[in-house]
Amino acid sequence: MTARSQARIALAGVACLFAHASVRADDTVPPPASERAAIDAAILGAPSSAFHVDAMMTRITSFDQSGHGYQAQGGPTAISPGSERATIFEPQVEVDASQGERIKHRIVVPIDVVSNASADAIDVVSNASRHVEAGSIDWATTYRADAVSDATIVSGLHLENPFRSWHSGLGASHAFAGGDTVVSGGFLEVFDWFDRFDIHGARFGRTDRSSTTASVGVTQILTASTIVNVNYGITLQRGELGNTWNSVPLTTFERGPEVLPDERLRQALVARFAQYLPWNGALHLYYRFYTDDWGLIAHSADVELMQRLSPDVYVGAFYRWHRQSGVDFFTTLAAPDSGLRTADSDLAPFDSQTIGGKVVIDVPLKTATVRALHFEVGYDHYERTNDLRVEVFTCATGYRF
Amino acid sequence: MTACVRWAIAVSIAAGAFGCATVPQNRRAHFADPMMSITGEPLDAARRQKLYDTREGAAGGDGAAAGGGCGCQ
Repeated sequence: MTARSQARIALAGVACLFAHASVRADDTVPPPASERAAIDAAILGAPSSAFHVDAMMTRITSFDQSGHGYQAQGGPTAISPGSERATIFEPQVEVDASQGERIKHRIVVPIDVVSNASADAIDVVSNASRHVEAGSIDWATTYRADAVSDATIVSGLHLENPFRSWHSGLGASHAFAGGDTVVSGGFLEVFDWFDRFDIHGARFGRTDRSSTTASVGVTQILTASTIVNVNYGITLQRGELGNTWNSVPLTTFERGPEVLPDERLRQALVARFAQYLPWNGALHLYYRFYTDDWGLIAHSADVELMQRLSPDVYVGAFYRWHRQSGVDFFTTLAAPDSGLRTADSDLAPFDSQTIGGKVVIDVPLKTATVRALHFEVGYDHYERTNDLRVEVFTCATGYRF
Repeated sequence: MTACVRWAIAVSIAAGAFGCATVPQNRRAHFADPMMSITGEPLDAARRQKLYDTREGAAGGDGAAAGGGCGCQ
């Protein structure tokens, strides 16, 4: 090979390297903000300061619950577990709206219609929860300060027959490393104000509790198909921390009231992982560790596998496992003069499993007003080792404008 | 103890290595797929969360409100 040929090959190699480098540079360096805004405006139209509804989603879910718990009365004997039979019908509406290019609103209105809740228990006397209608409104407004930072204000109200609740909070997030890393934090205060009953159904005025939550989280893009999220939160609750009508079987073959501490500190660490699969699927993994100062420790893990069948349709299969230790003062038979005590099956040691699936259809439309339609149907079966089962059916429709 | 320290160092190095690798904007198309939403569709996530919060005494602490509503816990 002549020196001239070697020089040509070397030059070609250097040219290839430069060409490759320039492609990488195009990949990694986004255009300046002013240019991006012009590109966005050319594609999406000029931003308007008017209130615009971007999307609306409606969902209807039914929960059909059966089982027994020692906190409920109405069993064959005074100390037998009573029925936890309940049916819950829950319509939800979500509206996403924008106000200019910096402000986004998300309004969620869930409504619960609970029927036959513990109908064989004290409700024979009080009707406190034989039939409950509850409604909430949650409003979150997000202000985008710049391309990498935003702040969110949340507020809401919950109303049901014997219960009022208000909540408000603040959150913020900031993106680093070109959006690969997002750090977020939030603060939420909930105040509940509700009727106090005794275990025989007599009403004794009102009582209250407050719940203060702080949380921090990190979301990290690991690769072009992998994303993880880690979140830690701490909640301090104070006040009346039970529903006031739960009862506890006593060694005297009678029932006594539940006695709970008036403060509870709860902590949870959550890790989420999502991986896009090469065959047009997605794998989600979730793990949650929970502990509190009532002695309850819980581990929850779930896996969800989704598969796209066509550009418009995908299906999902879901499995969740949960184990909790129960609170230190859980009992199914207490001495009459015992101190703290609860027979609430939700605070007992148990394992639970959920298995479910869903079909989701997203249909793009080329109309002037509606850009896409969304349909979804799903089913979950939830079962606990301490005699509780729930069948869940859900159906959703959505519109993207 | 030594094994724990080794694991901690290995995990830190791995996490740091991942954190340094920037994924270009034009290679994030998969994250726009609804299947890849890390927290799921909001109403679906909310109804599932409520199922657990009102039946397991381990709600709260993770940024979601604990207490309120017919769950009472």
